Amino acid sequence: MESTRNKLIDLLANNGEQYISGQLLSERLGVSRSAIWKHMKKLEEDGYRIEAKSNKGYRIISFPDKLSENTLQWGLHTKWLGKKVIHKQSTPSTQIIAHQAAQENADHGTIIIADEQTNGRGRMSRSWHSAKGKGIWLSIILRPSILPYLAPQLTLLTATVLADVFSSYTNTEPLIKWPNDILLENKKTAGILTEMQAEQDQIQYVVIGMGINVNQENKELPEDIKDKATSLAIKTGKHWPIKEIIQEILITFEKAYDSYIENGFPEVKEKWESYGFKMGEVIFIKTLREQFKATFSGIADDGALLVKEKNKTQKKLYSAEIEWFKKGD
Amino acid sequence: MLKVQEIREIIKLIDQSSISEFTYETNGTTVSMKKNNGNNTVQTQVQPVISMEQQSNDTPKTEVQEQTVPSTSETPEKKTELESKTEYDYEIVSPMVGTLYTAASPESDPYVSKGSAVEKDTVVCIVEAMKLFNEIEAEVSGEIVEILAEDGELVEYGQPLFRVKSR
Repeated sequence: MESTRNKLIDLLANNGEQYISGQLLSERLGVSRSAIWKHMKKLEEDGYRIEAKSNKGYRIISFPDKLSENTLQWGLHTKWLGKKVIHKQSTPSTQIIAHQAAQENADHGTIIIADEQTNGRGRMSRSWHSAKGKGIWLSIILRPSILPYLAPQLTLLTATVLADVFSSYTNTEPLIKWPNDILLENKKTAGILTEMQAEQDQIQYVVIGMGINVNQENKELPEDIKDKATSLAIKTGKHWPIKEIIQEILITFEKAYDSYIENGFPEVKEKWESYGFKMGEVIFIKTLREQFKATFSGIADDGALLVKEKNKTQKKLYSAEIEWFKKGD
Repeated sequence: MLKVQEIREIIKLIDQSSISEFTYETNGTTVSMKKNNGNNTVQTQVQPVISMEQQSNDTPKTEVQEQTVPSTSETPEKKTELESKTEYDYEIVSPMVGTLYTAASPESDPYVSKGSAVEKDTVVCIVEAMKLFNEIEAEVSGEIVEILAEDGELVEYGQPLFRVKSR
């Protein structure tokens, strides 16, 4: 069904201003004319404006900016990522839908996208403000054949993908706050949450969730996060087409992921460090047992945070609360 | 000292890898493994550990300790009989280095506590590393008889987190 609809969009789009007859469409797609008509109705619901003229046929007048399974897939040139799209206008969280889908055997590369999340989650169930149509709320289901202890590297990889897309597509200068927050001028613009179901030696599935602030105006951000958060629109002074950014992210992600599976973490590490926030600077670290300040020297071969306290040996941290913005010596 | 489970894990990892020879040494205990034509031979050597402790006014004394590593031919059941007071037959171990969370958020109730009944797919805790949250499932059905690590603790790869009496 989906692919027939995409072929239909292809045919119409390639024909540009010219009308294409229902008869021809029906021959090309191998479906009845009444099926064509039903597909057309569906496309109109998705926001395509289609003109139908008797004795001439159909043509597309305008493409929707609105998200749907069709609009996302049309023009998405990926091999496996986003071949199955689950789109929700409103959902508590795309992560929840993703877990359900994964448990019902959704394929590797399935994506879940929402116009709005009413209960977006971050670390330790902290909420993430995800307003309607203003940002990208996306989860990706992966079934990687790597060992579970390597999976945290996927969160760093995802951060480099977002940073790459931000810098190439929106011409901004993003930095990555370890392990995976994207900052624009010290303010958080995107967050990533990765969840995994794994046995000791095998990953069942990984769900990578991302929240990206795209078109929020400053006044639209909640008061309590205004000094810590921003959006692409606030930083660049213009609105961005959500659908195109998503497609750009998916294309970039697929390449980076395939390369990681083939070549391992070194490329990701190098790229990550090129975006690393506060590398070489002193940061304040809090773990369950201790608090200390140390120089952030980079990331390890497995992605862990490398820090060095004065007169001590280098330490590797996998999990810590870090006060990145604390002023001090 | 290595546990049977850890040795089993190492064997599994080496089996899957292209490494043909592996030696691990700590506190005088050496574990070496060799792969030949797909046949694994595991040798566990036990060497005496000699530690010298010198205290200011004491006469130097020499302690000789014998450390034994359970040989891999021992079944896990046999081992648990030997060393545990609580009866259990399965340990849920951490699949990675990270921080252990025993509840979904600081305000929520813990996933499980001592005495909780679990099914194979019951989530018992989360281990987080680099913002990847790994939901750990029990993998056996039974009862949680012992909790071996606390909320917020940094846990190692292969570290036992819970003991389960399966049914």
